[in-house]
Amino acid sequence: MKAKLIAATLVTGMFCTPLAAAELTVLTAGDQNMVDYVNEYLGPLFEKENPGTKVRVVGTGPGDAGSQKILERFEAQSKAGVAKWDADVAVVHEKFVGPMVEQEFLEAYRSKIPSGSLVTRENAKMALGTNVDGYVMPMFNSQTALAYNPALVPNPPKSYDEIVEFAKKNPKQFGYNGIKGGASGVSFVMGWIYAYGGDAQKLMNGPFDESETKKWDKAFASLKEFSRNATLTPGNAGTLDMLSRGEIAIGPVWVDMFYSWKANGQLPPEMKLVLPTPGMPGQPMHYVIPAKTANADLAQKFVALATSPKVQAEGIVKRFNWYPGIDAQHVQANLDKETWQKLFTDISPEELAKNGKPFPIAPYNKAILEAYERQVSN
Amino acid sequence: MPIQLIGFLLVAPALAVVLLLFIVPLVSSVTGAFDVGGSYGLGNFTKALELYSGDILFTLVIVLLSSGLIGLFSIMIGGYLTLGTNARAVAILRWIYRWPLFIPFIVVGQILRTFLAKNGLMNNIFIELGLMTPAAAMSFLDWRGIVVAFVWKQTPFVTLLLAGAMASIDQSTIEAARNLGAGRVRILIEVVLPQVRQTLLVGLILSFVTMMSVLSVPLMINAQSPTMITANMAFRINAHGDYGVANALGLISLLMTSVAAMVYLRQTMREHSR
Repeated sequence: MKAKLIAATLVTGMFCTPLAAAELTVLTAGDQNMVDYVNEYLGPLFEKENPGTKVRVVGTGPGDAGSQKILERFEAQSKAGVAKWDADVAVVHEKFVGPMVEQEFLEAYRSKIPSGSLVTRENAKMALGTNVDGYVMPMFNSQTALAYNPALVPNPPKSYDEIVEFAKKNPKQFGYNGIKGGASGVSFVMGWIYAYGGDAQKLMNGPFDESETKKWDKAFASLKEFSRNATLTPGNAGTLDMLSRGEIAIGPVWVDMFYSWKANGQLPPEMKLVLPTPGMPGQPMHYVIPAKTANADLAQKFVALATSPKVQAEGIVKRFNWYPGIDAQHVQANLDKETWQKLFTDISPEELAKNGKPFPIAPYNKAILEAYERQVSN
Repeated sequence: MPIQLIGFLLVAPALAVVLLLFIVPLVSSVTGAFDVGGSYGLGNFTKALELYSGDILFTLVIVLLSSGLIGLFSIMIGGYLTLGTNARAVAILRWIYRWPLFIPFIVVGQILRTFLAKNGLMNNIFIELGLMTPAAAMSFLDWRGIVVAFVWKQTPFVTLLLAGAMASIDQSTIEAARNLGAGRVRILIEVVLPQVRQTLLVGLILSFVTMMSVLSVPLMINAQSPTMITANMAFRINAHGDYGVANALGLISLLMTSVAAMVYLRQTMREHSR
């Protein structure tokens, strides 16, 4: 009798808890700042607007590794046939939404939320060659560029050719973090191949053609030669560290990291950015909702709030110096001129539009990374 | 119930834990190394060698060099602890040398990353003292940084084993050598060291295996090329989701450590047979 009572209580408990206090689980890839963003800003805001809910955020780690973990988690739950998955919203890198959509892990929710119509940028429809239209909302757009110390480099190189020239004249003054220490180095390498490795348009838009990968040998040989004159730094932060200590004069960085470091004094205020031609890649981080979430409505509400013009202005642009995820004009109206201008101090919106490129489509991306390992680093 | 069955039941839980948590994952990663897109083959190994042959060699050289230096320093420290005549110096050394034992590898990597940088603390001190000009400063954040981290972290471990062994050898052999007029260095090399050779070897082999598995230090100090196998394994999984080549690399480093393990096993067998 007693056992039955306990069992009954447990069963009732299981059914009641989600109703009493809905808990929204948000998985996020990326650095600690992504977790902080939800914990300190977005979560409390959402809880205030939806009394009785609780936002729980789980950080899965920086870089591609973090997104890879989320993908593997979805795969595991899908294979195990779990009816309700343990995540309601996830924030992942562009590279991983393609596989998620292809394996039908995600819900097509964009048309169901009000801010869905505020995104028209191409990278919300295609993610490295996969059609993801409807499945993603960009949280923000990020861009890589060259950060430099004007005291050491009065006339910064404005193209890849000039970078090569600069490195020849100033050995070890150009620093980048290879391809294993974070994506700013990866981005520099991709830009190199766009500049010297044949048809950049084909790399960005596809379709994948094996023969295209054979055209890169010369570009990698020159990159190997170039790397001898360059300094290899330990990671995205490593490049900024060495720049601030004066050990290198110029190097590729993430624009948002650059501004954040400058804002909290980790980088001298004189440092500047330049985006060389023919361009360097950037990427969005996307909000996705698993098809098997237990709280679909709440999850949609959460993403709707996160991509509303107000939150994009206050949280994404003002707090973190990211370029907004939804179209700029909707965000600009919510910000004072000064804050908005800060985003474009060194790189004008026109330059950004011209030289801000997407990463190559996934198969080329992979092929370039492997070719780099084969021909430059081994 | 027959006694064998009871015996088996008693070890069963432990056996199950070893089987589930150690043998099964090990076997699955070994078979994973030969799994090329569903069929079995050596594709992962050819790729691993094609992309990372330089790094495999680099790893071996770094770890062997570090082991050599660790051996040298632990003999020096252990020797002074055993043969030192200044009681106060010995006491201070005994107190201080164990500190790095309690510091995790990742923290060592983090400390050295700022300490060894071109304009890092070490070079700044040298420049302040006038020992070096700012132009002559160079960064040690490459293979040298890894060696420094490994030696700094693992020397106390080997010294701890070695000093214990040195303390327990027959003191009369040292006294005899001293009476015959041998210097301290000669006593260390010709009398003490031969008696603790096996302990030294065991300590170095255990260090070798530990260093082979460290990911944090190469990641913090030089994640660029050439780097250690562990950093490449992490990269294969994180950037490509490619467990095949990562498993192959794992198996290659397992082969390296198993050579060390064989030496270790033969050593302990010999000791037990005595």
